[in-house]
Amino acid sequence: MKNNITSTEHEEKEQDGIKHNVPLFGIFWTFFRIGLFTFGGGLAMTTVMRHELVLKRRWIKEESFLAELSTATLVPGAIAVNMAYLQGRRLRGTAGAMAAIFGTILPSFVIILLIAWIALPYFAKPKVTAFLRGCAIAVVGQLAFAGLVFARKLLRSWRNAIVCIAGLIVVAVFKMHPVWAMIAAGGMGYLLCNQSAAEQNEKDQS
Amino acid sequence: MKILLQLFLSFALIGIGAYGGGLVAIPLIQHEIVFKQQWLSFGEMSQLLAVAQMTPGPIAINAATFVGFRFGGIIGSAVATLAVVLPSITILVLVAPLVDFASKNAHVRHLRQGLQIGVLSLILFATWSFGSGAVTGWRDLAMAAAAFAVLVAFEGKLHPVIVILASGFLGMIVL
Repeated sequence: MKNNITSTEHEEKEQDGIKHNVPLFGIFWTFFRIGLFTFGGGLAMTTVMRHELVLKRRWIKEESFLAELSTATLVPGAIAVNMAYLQGRRLRGTAGAMAAIFGTILPSFVIILLIAWIALPYFAKPKVTAFLRGCAIAVVGQLAFAGLVFARKLLRSWRNAIVCIAGLIVVAVFKMHPVWAMIAAGGMGYLLCNQSAAEQNEKDQS
Repeated sequence: MKILLQLFLSFALIGIGAYGGGLVAIPLIQHEIVFKQQWLSFGEMSQLLAVAQMTPGPIAINAATFVGFRFGGIIGSAVATLAVVLPSITILVLVAPLVDFASKNAHVRHLRQGLQIGVLSLILFATWSFGSGAVTGWRDLAMAAAAFAVLVAFEGKLHPVIVILASGFLGMIVL
């Protein structure tokens, strides 16, 4: 098992030509910042993660980021934690994964602890509520931005757009569990979207 | 000791079920904490959710730390938080090598394209469902649109958190 992991890692290193040999503390620190700056939870964090990992540190390419995001969404649990595991693992194996998860969790853990302990009464103050409401409103813009970024990459053909709309209908109209949107989009994408186009896409990525 | 075990089991259950982002996890957390265990009243739960949405980090983790602290102190909060992430870590340890292996298969890569579009669907839906809660008037909508425009215009140059904080300070002035 162990051998298997290291060999795939090795191949990936050869494939993408992206910065590797990242120090463990660097992984921890980056994910600490991501954990600290992620308001709104779940998918809203993709904007901050993409900024830190793809644009700033260049630890991963945009396309691989998207692929790993789909894995993180499919696995049960918080998407941010799943993503931290996958990224940390890709960079430095199991130790990297643990450093990334620890970094992601620590800020919310400490902040909630402080709030539960001393700061809960302050949340009733109007100025504090107004500040936090302002933050929440910007998170909406951030989510829309994440949508735009991924749409730019993925909606290259009308077929992809149909798959996307079908996924939306599953959660928005039928109010079904998100896993069904993933299954529907995955299945429809497989049937509808051109395989050679998908392969071409993969080639662009590597 | 008994309460620690209960915290661990409840939040491990939330960790397994909390799938597809925080917004989906909320009803599950509510069911487990308010109805089943009765650790929090409905009012306390709403306050917790409000705090959790406005503070950084995944909502399930915020809820775990909060409830764990209230019923088991620092140790309780650590136990509950660990319990939330443990199921995903276990699954990922098993699944991640398989995903690496399967990604070499052309059919899996092809399937992956559709799954990525599925994530996009979920993001668009999250924008709508989170937005319909956070945006309550034209002024809010204008602020959200401005945040979006700034993020697009300064992509890669401006850290997204600056936009969030700026919007918070703007909120202190106008809201």
